[in-house]
Amino acid sequence: MTREPGPTTPTDAPPLVRIRDVDKAFGGVAALKSVSLDVRAGVVHGLVGANGAGKSTLIRCLAGIEHPDAGEIEVDGQAVTIGSPDDASRLGFAFIHQEMSLIPGWDVLRNMALGIPPTTRLGVIDWRPMRVRAKAVAARLGMHFGLSTSVDDLTTAEKWLVLIGRALMHDARLIAMDEPTASLSFEESTRLHDIVRELVASGTTVIFISHRLDEVSELCHDVTVFKDGAVTKRVVGERTSKADLVRAIVGRDLEIPDHGRAGAQVGRAVLEVRHVSDKTLLRRVSLTVHEGEVLGLGGLVGAGRTELAKIIYGAQRRIAGEVLLDGKTTSFREPADAVRAGIGLVPEERRSEALFLDRSIDFNINLAKLDSLVSSPVLPLLNLVRGRKRAQAVADLVTVKAKSVGALVGSLSGGNQQKVVIARWLLDKPKVLILDEPSRGVDVGARAEVHRAIRELASTGTAVLVISSDNEELVALCDRVIVLAEGQVTGELVGEQITEERLVSLSFAARHGKDSAA
Amino acid sequence: MSTVTAALTPPPTKPHASRATSRMALVIVSKYGTVFAMAIMILIFGLAVPNGAFLRTTNLLAIVNQSALTAVIAAGLTLVLVVGEMDLSVGYGASLAGIIVTGLMLNQGLPMPVAILVTVAMGAAIGAVNGTLVTKAGVNAVVATLGVGTVLIGLSYGYTAGAPIISVPKGFTDLTLGRLGGIQNPIWYMLAILAVLWVVLNRTPLGQRMQAVGANKSAARLAGIRTDRVTIAAFVIAGSCAAITGILLASLLGSGTVSAGDGYLLDSFAAVFLGAATLRDGEFHIVGTLIGVLVVNVGFNGLSLFGTPTFWQFVFKGGILVLAVALSTIARRYSRL
Repeated sequence: MTREPGPTTPTDAPPLVRIRDVDKAFGGVAALKSVSLDVRAGVVHGLVGANGAGKSTLIRCLAGIEHPDAGEIEVDGQAVTIGSPDDASRLGFAFIHQEMSLIPGWDVLRNMALGIPPTTRLGVIDWRPMRVRAKAVAARLGMHFGLSTSVDDLTTAEKWLVLIGRALMHDARLIAMDEPTASLSFEESTRLHDIVRELVASGTTVIFISHRLDEVSELCHDVTVFKDGAVTKRVVGERTSKADLVRAIVGRDLEIPDHGRAGAQVGRAVLEVRHVSDKTLLRRVSLTVHEGEVLGLGGLVGAGRTELAKIIYGAQRRIAGEVLLDGKTTSFREPADAVRAGIGLVPEERRSEALFLDRSIDFNINLAKLDSLVSSPVLPLLNLVRGRKRAQAVADLVTVKAKSVGALVGSLSGGNQQKVVIARWLLDKPKVLILDEPSRGVDVGARAEVHRAIRELASTGTAVLVISSDNEELVALCDRVIVLAEGQVTGELVGEQITEERLVSLSFAARHGKDSAA
Repeated sequence: MSTVTAALTPPPTKPHASRATSRMALVIVSKYGTVFAMAIMILIFGLAVPNGAFLRTTNLLAIVNQSALTAVIAAGLTLVLVVGEMDLSVGYGASLAGIIVTGLMLNQGLPMPVAILVTVAMGAAIGAVNGTLVTKAGVNAVVATLGVGTVLIGLSYGYTAGAPIISVPKGFTDLTLGRLGGIQNPIWYMLAILAVLWVVLNRTPLGQRMQAVGANKSAARLAGIRTDRVTIAAFVIAGSCAAITGILLASLLGSGTVSAGDGYLLDSFAAVFLGAATLRDGEFHIVGTLIGVLVVNVGFNGLSLFGTPTFWQFVFKGGILVLAVALSTIARRYSRL
């Protein structure tokens, strides 16, 4: 019964929000390509798609954080320009993101009242009517905690209630929720679903972004699917299956993979991860990378892949499980220990986590292995000439394009910067190289060169672990892929089994609910 | 001939030529402004001070001599700023070192070289405490070093009960009063220590790691650098240099006096920041620090030869510091547009 659309939705009434042919590009890369969609009043409208498909950009346009390059947005049949978050709030739109905008240390009431203009003539907040209103909202949402509780003491699910409460205090007509259930338990998610249904029943419109396709097909009246900045599927007022959604997320044009895989001969196990769990996300993850193998780690952003890489590298703590290198248990206290043991990491955020942009290429490359540039055992003096030659040699190996290794890294293109980070680990042949999103922000040409460098390194015996949210990349590059979803391994694909369709399906495999991985 | 000129002349870029030129000029002013300012001051003082007193070798050497102690403590402090931290305890460390070194000789009867070594080791230990507080305990560097510095003041008073330690051996005062090749000993000490620190910062793995930690700490960590260790090393060097300055000051004064070296805190910070604004864009470096110290002392010396009241010297010191740093900050912003 909860599946019926809102009680009064005459077909001829204009939708609450009508988006027409909206384009948005960032630095020449199209994030939204002529996107059109209608958000009907009083329904739950689901937005799904892979990371970077355009859902968030669209929401940011509605929130007034980004401005479309072209196209129109109509609210109640009237064209509007949403220039700032203020404009959005005046239209009755509220946005709840995963990075929660709660003020730590403040109590529930003050957090719910945040942004509501002062109410007395003196410009002072009159807390009494505010408290009355907040109490009504709290009762409606079933908040079982007091308004004077500090938000620091709340669980994630309770924090979501506070944020929804804030939206209701603002009399929001439209509430957009970005992955509200991503960090909630099954019971908490179910409660949130009930609240969403209740909101919709009383006339509020909800935009619901989620990677959990089961809940989307269960909860949403309408669903819009995005791929690469464009809408690939629209579902209006009918039930949709998870399989249909997966197909739309992947897109129809599935390519047959063609890559020079090393094949079946796999060397001995170099890196073994056994039952590793961390505090928040990872649960009993196990995997093995072999000598000369390129192992892909697939899944969605937030699935726990970067966390796993940092645990292997000694940059983050685990609470259970062990990591073995060459069959021996490791106990890295910091990345320096991992580097000494022969592991290298090419981090996800190369500008903030890997590079020194105001420094030369050779400085950036040599940094990881400075001790081997000291010739004398007595005086720790660097042989800068040798350092320069050595850096030049590895930079040539990965085809860094620059006038000389004296050039500043900040002056290079994204692709060449990435090659510099990879080159750093080629000074000594590493036993294990972990690359986190190696081709993000890398142009097509450089991407092929990065891939070639990775394959070459593997062919010399290095065990390579590649994290990528780009499934095409995993198909093209990897001998084997392990997929993580919500901190758990959901499947493993070998050789010709690696297809985009299977990768997506495993990435969206939910941890709870009765149906397990497809 | 003509080819050489052609190669040296910048290609004529018409539309933005004037803007590019003015930007270039601003960058030059900010990078070399401090050096120009010093040259101009030397010129003016040289011409204007009666009887050419300013440019006499004895006076010029006196200026460098006066700069020596500040340069040593400031050079140590430079390394702490290179790794992106602060050390507000250096002045108090210098004061305590002066008391300890004289006390060890007079009260404990230790021979001079031993007393000096123990004192420098104490300075290193103070630095290690600072560094450990900042890295392992995660205390904000300003708070940690201010706290440690205040403890050091307390220790100074505790050890001396407030009275200066006097009648130090002649061998100790000769450390700074002597000359080698006609040049005062402190100048030699300064040159030696600055040379060592320059090499450490620019030609050793430790120095490269310090620069990396200061430039991007998380990238340094993920590149396999033990950032805590590197940061502590910088504090240890700063503490040692502070102790050396304290020892040399006690030798100059002929006594170990409570709070004798406190003033070095501000002087060394001024020098380091002036230096960071010199030659390179806001990067802390040893040569810059030396220039920073010299600029201030050239100004002081010239102004006092003119007979300018003392308060003007402070106005000058504060003014040139703020001006130089502001100018380089503005220029950097423009040069990146």
